[in-house]
Amino acid sequence: MPAWMVYALLTLAFWGVTGMTQKLATNSISVELSLIWFSAAFLPIAGVILLAQPLDWRISATAWFLAILGGVLNGLGVLTSFAAFRNGGKASIVTPLIALFPVVTVALAVPLLHEQITRREALGIVLAVMAAFALSYEESSKADGSS
Amino acid sequence: MPKWLWYSILTIVFWGAWGVVSKAAMEMMSPLLNQVLFTVGLVPLALVCTLSKNVSVGTNRLRGGAYAFVTGILGGVGNVTFFEALSHGGKASIVVPITGLYPLLTVLTALPLLREKLNRIQAAGIALAVVAILLFSSG
Repeated sequence: MPAWMVYALLTLAFWGVTGMTQKLATNSISVELSLIWFSAAFLPIAGVILLAQPLDWRISATAWFLAILGGVLNGLGVLTSFAAFRNGGKASIVTPLIALFPVVTVALAVPLLHEQITRREALGIVLAVMAAFALSYEESSKADGSS
Repeated sequence: MPKWLWYSILTIVFWGAWGVVSKAAMEMMSPLLNQVLFTVGLVPLALVCTLSKNVSVGTNRLRGGAYAFVTGILGGVGNVTFFEALSHGGKASIVVPITGLYPLLTVLTALPLLREKLNRIQAAGIALAVVAILLFSSG
């Protein structure tokens, strides 16, 4: 198996498990504490990256700003995803639902990055909206005790 | 609207915006540097969270904290392996769809391990979501 395939499958596995570990975390602790521990994990990773190889730091101020803004936005999304789990969301529903975020990226890329929506993406948007409705479909209220 | 759904929608908005910002940032630097600077953005958020009184709330804070920490490790290392896949010759048109299917893995493990149940419409929603994700990742 080529190395890139191994890396791709590892990525699939790592990200796939996070849905469960997020749910398990919020079963015990608050959203805020979850984010604190989550963020703490990124420090050693950044440290290893910094030690492992030289990086080209010659980037513009805009680049600094965008990269850090990206961290803030992603972090806010992580916070609200923990909140979704903490407030009764199931891992098997919330994880696929929030994975539909490219809908918003594609839509925002039109005015902000002057991109065009391809036919595939347009179909994807329609299906994503349908998926969101279906995923949030709850039969007559009652808790089924599984969160 | 149930709270979890409202928070999920907020997540979609934040991550959607992150997606655009990230696209622009990626053009300007290596993915690994992006990961390091990303961490710089995350830290102030975490610091603000330390001010919350909810930090001391919880049943088993060590276990919960461990799960949250592991989530960060898996997420961050997953970002690195994702970029490694692309830089070791993997084509985006294959790597992105493969990795984009991670929610399916979550569903397949959460159903037995977390004993979650889905009704038929929700199951159909997952199938729709998978197709939608594939359509976005092959664009």
